[in-house]
Amino acid sequence: MSFFERQLEDPVRVARIKGRLKRWFYVGLAVVALAEIVLPLVFHGGHPHFSFESFPAWGSLYGLISCIAIIVVSKLIGKAWLMRREDYYDS
Amino acid sequence: MTLEWVHPGLLLILGAWVLPWLEGRVKRVAMLALPGAALVVCWLMTPGTYGVVRFLGQELVFGRVDPLSLVFCYVFSLMAFLGMVYALHVEDDSQHVAALTYAGAALGVTLAGDLLTLYVFWELLAISSVLLVLRGGERSAVAAGFRYLLVHVFGGLLLLAGIVLHWSQTGSLAFGDMGAFSGGVAWTLILVAFLLNAAVPPLGAWLPDAYPEATVTGAIFLTAFTTKSAVYVLIRGFAGTELLVWLGAFMAVYGVVYAVLENDARRLLAFHIISQVGYMVCGVGIGTALATNGATAHAFAHILYKGLLFMGAGAVLQMTGARKLSEMGGLYKTMPITLGLYMVGAFAISAVPLFSGFVSKSMVISAAGEGHRAVIFLMLTLASAGTFLHTGLKLPYYMFFGKDSGLRTTEPPRNMLVAMGLAAAACVVIGVFPNVLYRHLPHAVEYVPYTLQHVTSTLGLLSFTVLGFFLLLRQLDPERTISLDTDWFYRRGLAPFVTLAARGLARLESGVVGEIYEFVMRRPVLGAASLLRKFDTLVVDAAAVGVARSTRTLSQRLKTAVSGHAQHYGLLMAAGFLALVALAMLAL
Repeated sequence: MSFFERQLEDPVRVARIKGRLKRWFYVGLAVVALAEIVLPLVFHGGHPHFSFESFPAWGSLYGLISCIAIIVVSKLIGKAWLMRREDYYDS
Repeated sequence: MTLEWVHPGLLLILGAWVLPWLEGRVKRVAMLALPGAALVVCWLMTPGTYGVVRFLGQELVFGRVDPLSLVFCYVFSLMAFLGMVYALHVEDDSQHVAALTYAGAALGVTLAGDLLTLYVFWELLAISSVLLVLRGGERSAVAAGFRYLLVHVFGGLLLLAGIVLHWSQTGSLAFGDMGAFSGGVAWTLILVAFLLNAAVPPLGAWLPDAYPEATVTGAIFLTAFTTKSAVYVLIRGFAGTELLVWLGAFMAVYGVVYAVLENDARRLLAFHIISQVGYMVCGVGIGTALATNGATAHAFAHILYKGLLFMGAGAVLQMTGARKLSEMGGLYKTMPITLGLYMVGAFAISAVPLFSGFVSKSMVISAAGEGHRAVIFLMLTLASAGTFLHTGLKLPYYMFFGKDSGLRTTEPPRNMLVAMGLAAAACVVIGVFPNVLYRHLPHAVEYVPYTLQHVTSTLGLLSFTVLGFFLLLRQLDPERTISLDTDWFYRRGLAPFVTLAARGLARLESGVVGEIYEFVMRRPVLGAASLLRKFDTLVVDAAAVGVARSTRTLSQRLKTAVSGHAQHYGLLMAAGFLALVALAMLAL
């Protein structure tokens, strides 16, 4: 086992790295959303095709909504209808 | 066919048959030289009409070279090369011949200027590719391979029917924009056949059924050629068909929904082929210069990054034998290079700025925006988030991170890593320098991908998708299930007919047809064979044995004459000389 692998197998160290990553992730999210609101006001770059695109932080908002909608709706359809046991076609 | 023009597809199809005769290093060089040569031939082609053959009073055009066919030829031959690099370690000639034939058929479809030539290469696509599924080895692969073949034979028949009808109505086999025949039966048949190969639901269930069953290396070729040659013919014949806008947008979302439910890694990626081809079909339907440029650019970028993604999942499958996400996890420790290269493909398909998907997918979405199609725009953007959710987050999370499965392995063979590296490099180059791709598109490009608004909103969309992913992570845990699709109709729905066939038709076959066959064919053939064998042992063998025996006797005799004493030879020579002199004197 190499030095690198030993570091990755150490649960305490991994937990610490995870915690740090999480914090930076939330900081990153805030920066991205802010940039999306502020930068177009400053530079007047690009021209949206639709009025809803002018909503503050439209991309971020729609990303979150899309992601949650996809997971929830797909799982609902799957549970109610589409998902079957793995040997469904063999029996 | 003129000599000054070489058909790159025929080069691959005929050249492939050299491989079984070669061994070792020479074979590996030839495996790369063939697609390499095809790539060079494509690169040197200039627009024009080549390879015109008169057949049955019709002109068959094997080489319609124009900007649209050229850009598809480039990417098809490039992908054939990358696929062969990835498959270099495989010791199975049948797969190599099939893969090169398959790539050649895709080039043939692209260069075909008439419907009959198109049809021939279209059928070759199906026949050559099915071998890559069948060689997958497992029982399920054989079953899926035959289903794949049957579906494509059905599609081929629709195409043939459409072509014959179109020919009889118009008297022409030329293949161009079909808009003038819109709504006719022939138009519909041809369109349905094209949509079947483009895997448009409800005709697309064959794709996620068959691709994940294929061999590790065969799947790379499968992802590239069938659906994208279908996109090419759709652009050529059906640009601006309104139905395609909605089918395409539906497809983009459909693939994403099924990907949520999927557990098999390569099947998840297969659903995302459907989703991505949805953007192209939608672009074809919108039909403006920007939209068809977008469909073409996205096909180009897609072939490269989807090949890369399948290479990554294939590397994991090859090294661990695991194909389901629920069996993987923790592989980043032992396959970090594979993870890194896979992520380049994942960023490219998710349209992260500086990767190829960003400059191609956004052309189609912008075309929807320019056409003021708000619903389509929202559907395509939603599918973008879904693409990142699965290919960029769910799959790498459960494959490489997640709960450690205890699997410890190594990186794949070097040639596989090299192929992935080359594909990854292509994804980045296109993303950073979009003009490399844009200047080969069929229409002049005014579109600018890197605007402030586009970059910030894309980053927002993607990073908040990550947030949604971690919020609902428990919901996404892979479950050991499969999902129903329209293949149900021919896998379960037809079961009563199978029973009927087994009772009626099979009995008729074995009882009546079999008996007749036994009487008419098998007995005479066996009788003739036994007669021939008797003739062989009695006459041919005896003759051979006789010749051998007499030769041996003769040589035994000759052996005793050779004494090895010089004086004997001298005596013999003198006697012979005297005899010659006597003969000469008598003759005088």
